Amino acid sequence: MGELRERYGDGPLHLIAVVASFAIAGYAFLQIFQQSSPLNFIIYFAGAIIAHDLIAFPIYSLLERIAGRAGATVKLSGSLINYVRVPALLCAFAFIVWFPLILELDPGNYEASTATTPPDYLGRWLLMCAVLFVGSGIVYAINSRRARDRDRATDPQDARSQR
Amino acid sequence: MKFPPEFGDPPPGPFRREFWRSPLRGPWLTSFLGAALLPLIVICALTGFLSHVAYYPDLGGNGIGEPGDLEFFLLPFDWPTSPSWLYAFTQGLHIASGVAAIPILLAKLWSAMPKLFEWPPVRSIAHALERASLALLVGGGLFVFFTGILNIQLFYPWNFSFVPAHYYGSFVFLAALGLHLVTKVPVALKAFRERGVIAPLRDDLANTEPEPPGEETTAPYSPQAPTISRRGLLATVGAGSLGLFLIGIGQVIGGPLRRIAFLAPRNNSGGPQGFQVNKSFTASGIEEAMTGSVWRLKLEGARSVELSRQDLLAMEQRTESLPIACVEGWSTTQTWSGVPLRDLAALAGVSGGAEATVKSLQVGGAFGEATLADGQVGDERSLLALRVNDADLALDHGFPARIIVPAAPGVHCTKWVRSITFTEVA
Repeated sequence: MGELRERYGDGPLHLIAVVASFAIAGYAFLQIFQQSSPLNFIIYFAGAIIAHDLIAFPIYSLLERIAGRAGATVKLSGSLINYVRVPALLCAFAFIVWFPLILELDPGNYEASTATTPPDYLGRWLLMCAVLFVGSGIVYAINSRRARDRDRATDPQDARSQR
Repeated sequence: MKFPPEFGDPPPGPFRREFWRSPLRGPWLTSFLGAALLPLIVICALTGFLSHVAYYPDLGGNGIGEPGDLEFFLLPFDWPTSPSWLYAFTQGLHIASGVAAIPILLAKLWSAMPKLFEWPPVRSIAHALERASLALLVGGGLFVFFTGILNIQLFYPWNFSFVPAHYYGSFVFLAALGLHLVTKVPVALKAFRERGVIAPLRDDLANTEPEPPGEETTAPYSPQAPTISRRGLLATVGAGSLGLFLIGIGQVIGGPLRRIAFLAPRNNSGGPQGFQVNKSFTASGIEEAMTGSVWRLKLEGARSVELSRQDLLAMEQRTESLPIACVEGWSTTQTWSGVPLRDLAALAGVSGGAEATVKSLQVGGAFGEATLADGQVGDERSLLALRVNDADLALDHGFPARIIVPAAPGVHCTKWVRSITFTEVA
């Protein structure tokens, strides 16, 4: 037992779980490779990891950093950026899921399948984003007004001196 | 030879712990996201396998594998015909839980991202195998979720066939998830013991502290000042998840509430005769003349029978309100009229239990042919429908005649029916 831990790096349960997991995954890969276009499958499988970990993640991290810097330059307080970040994130989630319709990537197949022409998904998505950003702006206006009233109520001296 | 080799100091960049500065990352956040994601994955996986059962893959032409494959050992029961909305429910849940998982999945990947660059890259054989399995977990997860998402939007940029790739891809994902749970549930339980399951949600921004860094955790060594609380981040992710869930569910609901599905493919845009279609007549490749007066329904059984549409309309008609429920997660309930399938079986000289292989006029296509189980044929509500909502079927809905079976996947409700072969079941 101690020797297994020494050589393998973990206990017997781990080893059993590893073997079972790879056995099932191996079976599934064999089944997929018997189907059409195994190479194309591998490209999409590996491509999904690369697209997320090495392309999407660095890009959105960079956008975050740029937004943070820009906020700091125009002297926004730390949490103020969330009035942009939250609606932007919600718009991004909707886009990540529904981008084939929003960008009309295959309108021909849409019509062939549904027997209708696609509605203006891009317009709907943009409208949703507009509502979220406007809503966020309204919440910001209310919150900042409340904060100002609170400051005035608790410390009138300070409120006057800032003017 | 020594394994693993000495790796020395990490190279500059993401391999150094100081590179990762978010004050929110740490075992608690990742564990909380995992605990939120797991039920959605379980629901999505179970409803996915139920859909597989609903297809009766062991009947002629319905399956995706060869007889003798593992898939046939995984069929625990026969898919029922009652309640009639069963498949609309399970498959609506499959799609809605799948899209709702996306924001949480992405947030969880974000929270665990330092692990991709951990140093040393390999600590032991166990660690190396675990990291290899993580490639299957992340790749499998992204692959299964996004092939599903593109499929429901009728966008197929790949060459492989969707159903087996999505089905067996989920085996890869779930196998890797099983190992991930074995290794990570103890870590999550430890994080919840130390910090409480929901206690960190009480902290507003001013009270948001980084989790203490450790050798094998994602908590930052040099955290920045927080700009959002953990509950702020989780509420945003949760709102995204809930919104996507509602959009998914909207495709299952009829009436004005269907507008909720404003970004989904089968929303309030409707279709011919006011309801949605899975495949248009144009896409079926059928010549219109073949659906006219020359059309005959061929029945095969103990004897062969040919019936015109007039003959069928002269038989005793039955009217049923039944949903058409698509594997793509949308459904719509309409009132169908036509001849019960078991009356047609009797006409072909097959009484008692019979399977029915239904062929369409459709040229090619994955579902130009489907086999219905004896329980489906025997249900009195299963119809060869000629009319819908007191009008003749539109061409897009399968004129001159289509199958409608309660709780069956939509693609098994064959349109533009050409022939039905009844086979007695011993």
